[in-house]
Amino acid sequence: MTAAAARPRVDARAKVTGAARYGTDRTPEGLAYAAMAVATVGKGRVVEIDTAAAAAVAGVRLVLTRFEASELKPPVYIMAGGHAVQSLQPLLSDHIAYRGQPIALVVADTPVAATEAANRVCARYEAAPFALELDDEDAEKLRQPEALPVPALADIAVGDAEAVFAGSEVRVDEVYDHPKQAATPMELLGCVVEWRGDTVVVHEGTQNAGALRNGLALQLGIDPADVEVISPYLGGGFGQKNSLQPHLGPVALAARRLGRPVKFVMTRPQTFHQGSFRPASRHRVRLGADGNGRLTAAIYEVDQETSRHDLFPAMYTEAMSRLYGVPNFSGPTRLVRVDTQTPGYMRAPFESPASFAFESAVDELAYAVGRDPVALRLANDTGTDPITGQPFSSRHVAECLRRGAERFGWAARDPAPGSMRADDGSLIGWGVAIGAYPACVAPAIAHVRAGADGRVVVAVDGHEMGQGIRSAITFLVADDLGIAVDRVTVDIGDTRVAPQHLTAGSWGTASALPAVHAALRELRARLGVAETGMLDVGAAVAAAGQPTVEAEAATLGPGQPPEMLDRSRAGKVAFTGPVYPGFTSFSFVAHFVEVRIEATTRRVRVPRVVSVVDCGRVASAVTAASQVRGGVVWGLGAALREASEPERRYGGFFNATMEEYVISVNADIGEIEVDFIDEPDPLLNPVGVKGLGEVALVGVVPAVTNAVFHATGQRLRRVPITIADLL
Amino acid sequence: MGGATIVPAVETSFTVNGQTVHMALDPRESLLDVLRERLGLTGTKKGCDQGQCGACTVHLDGRRIVACLMPAVQANGRAVATIEGVASPDGVLHPLQEAFIEHDALQCGYCTPGQVMSGLACIAEGHVGSDAEIREYMSGNLCRCGAYAGIVAAVRQAGRSGI
Repeated sequence: MTAAAARPRVDARAKVTGAARYGTDRTPEGLAYAAMAVATVGKGRVVEIDTAAAAAVAGVRLVLTRFEASELKPPVYIMAGGHAVQSLQPLLSDHIAYRGQPIALVVADTPVAATEAANRVCARYEAAPFALELDDEDAEKLRQPEALPVPALADIAVGDAEAVFAGSEVRVDEVYDHPKQAATPMELLGCVVEWRGDTVVVHEGTQNAGALRNGLALQLGIDPADVEVISPYLGGGFGQKNSLQPHLGPVALAARRLGRPVKFVMTRPQTFHQGSFRPASRHRVRLGADGNGRLTAAIYEVDQETSRHDLFPAMYTEAMSRLYGVPNFSGPTRLVRVDTQTPGYMRAPFESPASFAFESAVDELAYAVGRDPVALRLANDTGTDPITGQPFSSRHVAECLRRGAERFGWAARDPAPGSMRADDGSLIGWGVAIGAYPACVAPAIAHVRAGADGRVVVAVDGHEMGQGIRSAITFLVADDLGIAVDRVTVDIGDTRVAPQHLTAGSWGTASALPAVHAALRELRARLGVAETGMLDVGAAVAAAGQPTVEAEAATLGPGQPPEMLDRSRAGKVAFTGPVYPGFTSFSFVAHFVEVRIEATTRRVRVPRVVSVVDCGRVASAVTAASQVRGGVVWGLGAALREASEPERRYGGFFNATMEEYVISVNADIGEIEVDFIDEPDPLLNPVGVKGLGEVALVGVVPAVTNAVFHATGQRLRRVPITIADLL
Repeated sequence: MGGATIVPAVETSFTVNGQTVHMALDPRESLLDVLRERLGLTGTKKGCDQGQCGACTVHLDGRRIVACLMPAVQANGRAVATIEGVASPDGVLHPLQEAFIEHDALQCGYCTPGQVMSGLACIAEGHVGSDAEIREYMSGNLCRCGAYAGIVAAVRQAGRSGI
C-alpha cells in the first residue's frame, strides 16, 4: 500500500472525478462571455480605434475601449502597498506601455461571438521605441536602494567584502545569465463575475482573494463588504495569481452595465503578455576563499528587470547570503526598466536564479581548490546567520547533504570532468547544489465549529493551489482531536469566512496551521476538555448542551504587531520574516542530479535526482513529497528548456504559446527520490513547520549545470542549456 | 472591415457519457466549449484552447482527442466520453482514478481529468509495456505541477491490472 493510499490528499477524489470546481467552471444563468483585444505594438499610443465591425457581430452586447477614472480607479501595485499585480490599469488612457496591453473588452452571448468580435477590433497606433532586455539602450538602470529606499531592500553588506575578496588566496569571478520565464499554470487567468444587488461575487482562481476583494472595491469605489471572492481551488498559481489582475475591474463593470454575469477566460497567448513573469536577471558572483575552499568573502551583484511603471523589488541576496557562513558579504542590486507588463513572483522568484549563479560559482570554487563539492559545502556550513549574527531557528542543510550523498551514491563519483561514461557511450555527470528559502509567516484567522454529529468545520486564511494546504489543515485537525479525516471540512480561499491573506512565499502552511492549532486549543477550552489528547467531539459538544460549539483564534508571526491583522483584513501583504526577534528562519535543501549526455546528439537527459529537504516538521507527507518532485521538475525545465524570448520586432514575447514555451513533459522526467529531515522547527511556531514549496526548486538548476560540467568540462553560465551549447 | 458573418446554426446530435444530446450549434463552437458552457460538464478543462496542453482530453468513439480542436458539429452521430462518466453512476471510482489517488498523481488537479482520459486511452491502446512507453504516450498532457512520476505509476498500476 502506498503512503497516499493510506492517507490520500483530501481533495484527490474531487480532482480525479472532475468534480472540483475552479474559478471559471461556473456557468450561472444568463452568463455572457468577455474577450479582449490587445495592442499589437511594443509601446506607443492608440491614435484611432474602430469597433464598428466588432459591434456588428451577432450576439455582441458590449464593446468597451475606455473607462472613466471616476468609475474605474487605477489600482495600487501590491509591492507599493496596494493590491494589484501592476499599477497600470488598461483601458483608462490611449497610452500603450507594452505589447499585449488590452485595448478593448467585448462581451457577447457566446464565447465564439466574443472571440470573433475581439478579433475585429481594429486600432491604429503611434509606435514608440521600446526596450525589452537588460542591455537595451533605453533600459533604465536604477540602484535599488535609491529607487526603493526602505530598510528591507537595502543592499546587504557585512564586513568588508571588497577588501577581503581582493586579498583572498583563491578567487572566483564570473557572470551568470538567467532568462525571462513564464509561470504557465495550467488554469488560464480569468474570472466569473456576478452582481447580486449591490454585492459583486467573484469566482477567480487566485492566491489572494483578500486583495481581489479590497482592491476591486477601491477600484470601483464600493464597500469591500459588498465584494465576495470565492476561490476554493486554483489550477496552479506559482505566483502569477498573487494579486488583483487588470481584467477584473473592467469585467466587473461590464457585468454591472449589462445586468448579466460575465465570464472572462484569457487566451493562452495573452497570458504571456499580461500575466506576471519571472524577469531576466544577470548575476556577477565574486567568491574569495582560502586554499581549502573556506569562504572568506562574497560579492554578489544582481541586475533584474522591472517594468517602466512599477518597481519589482529584487531580493536575490537575502537567501544567498545565508547559504554559507561567509563573514564578508555584499550584494549591490540594480533594477532595469523595460517595456513589458510588470514582472513578478514566479516560484522561488529570486532564489532559483540566484542559486544557479551562486551555486555554480561555489562549484567553480570547489574545482579551483580541488575539493569535493559536497565536502566543500559541508566545510562552509554555519549555525549562525552571518548577516544578523543570530542563530538559525533550525538548520539541517549539512544533514541534507550527507543523507543525499549517501542515497545518491556520491562516494563513487570520479571528480574529473568527462571521466564517467555509460555503456552506450553517454557522458555521465553528477552534480550537487544546495538551496535556502526564507521561512516567513503571515497573520491568519481560524474559525472552528464542532458539531454534535462529531463533524468539525474549519475556516481559515489560505488558498489551495495544489500544494496540499487543505490536506495539511485537515490532517492537523484530525490528528489533534483523534477523529477521522472525513469528519473534517476545511473552507479556504473564500472571503466570506476569513480575510484570505496572500498565500505565497511558502508561508501558507506555516501561517494557517498555527492559527488552526490555536483555535483548537480555544475549542477545547470552551468544551471544557483537556488541552491535548483524543476527543469524542460529538459527545463533548452534546455535553455542552448545544448543537455546535465554535472557537476562533488569530495568530501572527513571531514579533509581529497586531496591526498586521488589520493590514491582512484590508487585503494587503502583511508577512514577516525570515529575521525574527532572536532567530532567523530558512528552509534548506540539497539536490543531487545525474545527467547523461548522448554521445552523438549531445541531448541531455536526467535519469535520476535525489532531493533531501529540511522544511521543519512535515505536515502532510504525501503532498509534501509531491511538492518536492514538482519543484525538481520545474528546475529541470529551467535548466534545460524554459526561456521566454523577447520579440525584438513587435515587442513583448516571441514564444507565447504552450507549444513554444517549452515546459517539461512526462517523457523528460526520470526518477526523483525525495527525503525529509522532518525535524520540527523549535522556534517559528508551535506546530514546527517551515515552508516547502519554493525551497524545493532552489538549487535544482545549478545541480544540473554542475552535473553538465562534470560530464563535459564545459562550464555553462547561461540557462537553459541546449544541445547547441554542447556540440 | 467587412460586416459580421451570420453563421447558420447546425442541428447536431451525439451522445455524452451515454446520454443523447440534440443542439443547434454554431459550427465554430468547439466541443470543449459546448461541454463546458452548454452542457455544464466542467470537468473537462481549458488550458490553452490550441491543442497544445491536453487538459481538454476526452474520448470520441473511444479514441482520445483534444476537445478544443474539434468543432462540436463534428461530433454529430458519435459518442463522446468525459471525466464525469468515468466513475460508475453509484460513485465507485474506476481503477485508474483509484490509482491516481494512491500514487498522488496530481497536485492542483487542473490537468487531472485530461490525464485520466489520456491514461485510459493509453491503456486501451496497449502503450503500457514499460515506464518509458507510458511516459512517451502520456507526454501530450502537460502537468505544470510536475506530477509526472505519480501519473506514470498510476497508469502502470491500472494498465497492468488488466482493465
